[in-house]
Amino acid sequence: MTFARGFAAEVRKGLLNLLAGRRETVIQMITFPLFYLLIVLFMGRGQLRADLLLPVLLGMVALTFIHEQVNRVFWSYLGDIQSGVLEQTYLTPLPSAASILGRQVAAVIAALPTALAVLVTGAAAVTVQGARLPFDAQVIVPLASIVLGTCGLALILCGLTLVFKRIEIITQLSVAVYAIAGGTLVPLAVMPDPIAFLSRLIVPIAPGIEAMRDILLGGHSLTALPTGWGLGWLLAQPLLITAAGVLLFNRLEHLARRRGTLGRY
Amino acid sequence: MIEIDALTKVYGAAHAPAVDEVSLRIPAGSVFAFLGPNGAGKTTTIKMLAGLLTPTSGQVRLGGFDVARQRSAAMAQFGAVLEGSRNVYWSLSAWQNLMYFGRLKGMRKPRVAERAQDLLTDLGLWERRHDKVGGFSRGMQQKVAIAAALIADPPIVLLDEPTLGLDVEATRIVKNWIAEQARELGTTILLTTHQLDVAQELCDRVAVMRQGRLVADLPTRELLARFRERDRYEIRLEGAAPPGFDAVTREGVTTIGVRVNEPREVYDVVERLRAHGAVIESLTQVQPDLEDVFLALVSEPSHAA
Repeated sequence: MTFARGFAAEVRKGLLNLLAGRRETVIQMITFPLFYLLIVLFMGRGQLRADLLLPVLLGMVALTFIHEQVNRVFWSYLGDIQSGVLEQTYLTPLPSAASILGRQVAAVIAALPTALAVLVTGAAAVTVQGARLPFDAQVIVPLASIVLGTCGLALILCGLTLVFKRIEIITQLSVAVYAIAGGTLVPLAVMPDPIAFLSRLIVPIAPGIEAMRDILLGGHSLTALPTGWGLGWLLAQPLLITAAGVLLFNRLEHLARRRGTLGRY
Repeated sequence: MIEIDALTKVYGAAHAPAVDEVSLRIPAGSVFAFLGPNGAGKTTTIKMLAGLLTPTSGQVRLGGFDVARQRSAAMAQFGAVLEGSRNVYWSLSAWQNLMYFGRLKGMRKPRVAERAQDLLTDLGLWERRHDKVGGFSRGMQQKVAIAAALIADPPIVLLDEPTLGLDVEATRIVKNWIAEQARELGTTILLTTHQLDVAQELCDRVAVMRQGRLVADLPTRELLARFRERDRYEIRLEGAAPPGFDAVTREGVTTIGVRVNEPREVYDVVERLRAHGAVIESLTQVQPDLEDVFLALVSEPSHAA
């Protein structure tokens, strides 16, 4: 019961912060769709081509979630360490991983307005180009896989922050690497084999984006995904990354307690 | 009750222990002062007590629960305001902070709301409960931090420099409130402060640390009495002091400080003053305060507890 109450409190706090930072959300709702259109224009050499609008749109929606889940959670965690509030959360019976998972849920909700803005912009652009935005309820599975895998990544980054503090560059770099190697802009199928292999193996969003494209653009079923490593890996990869995240976070937290870096910046 | 057994912390193999074999028993319902100069190892001890730092060896039990092995149960007994930290979210209101920390402690929503109302009313913050803490004065922020530490009504509370940076009025409110918590609710309060008058006024017992070790752990009265061996007297004179006496004259009043080994030596001093024709206005025994004791303990080569 303590876990559930603490988790709910963490989600609520995240939403209160989202409400307090609504100006930032509005800015993201403008900049992300603009960024999406600029990428398509760049890739289409100055033209909003229908064959690029849809694949990049799916990648951008996924990227919105990873951006919010990693950046929002990392910066809020770092801020709590710097201000010393994080130590207070350790003076409760709540397991600290629950606090991060609560922050993750709040971040996923925080990502929705921006993701929706990107989606609406994409739908409008696709319609202008004479095509239509496809929908298939099966897409929820790869989307959930992206969200879960990113939770694991956020756990690892938060654990590293407890010990090493100034790792902002790693966070920024990881989002940038995932944007490229995750197949958001260029499908993994057209990347060199070793890079595609590594991306499918360790990048939390890669199998999800491939599956979304297969379902929505290729019209394939979840059980018969033609690209990537199939449904099994789509489900297993985020679970493995999250499990690795929990393990690593616990190890790093243990180390932080031993070194005394839990609340020191 | 707080039980600390042979607590030791060594940062890195080559360093001297920051805390060296510290053992303490703090009975339930007492107000306990934990004093020491900067770098004495107080903060390290406190962080180990709160489970924020893993000891190299030794054990801490809060209300009978081992902080290392029974963390959840131990933390349910505990609330703390840590010095040098915000302790609460400045971006949230006082009410939102108390609701957040209450829920994190596992309390039911109606109970948190009830307790938050009591605390904010007691601390004079009820009217400002929906204002963001970031906009509060230092004293008000400290009150919110104390309220958050006490939201779950923990039997053990750690207050690290609770009156630091507060004005006279806010200090008085916090001091009264600490005394009330211990007296009426039986809360065990562990207080660290550099404001020794606060410690002397509030605490039943005092421990002093120096260079990672405990140099004193006694009831406040006993500690003060122990340092009364070297009695000091203050003699006020009408007019100037005779030659041969070290005197201080302030606002027309001459005062001679006398330190004696035996009380009867005071008569000798009085006789010498009379012999010089000095008129004695008053003679009082100077009681050592905690500051005198503290300075003696932290400056002497060694002093057994």
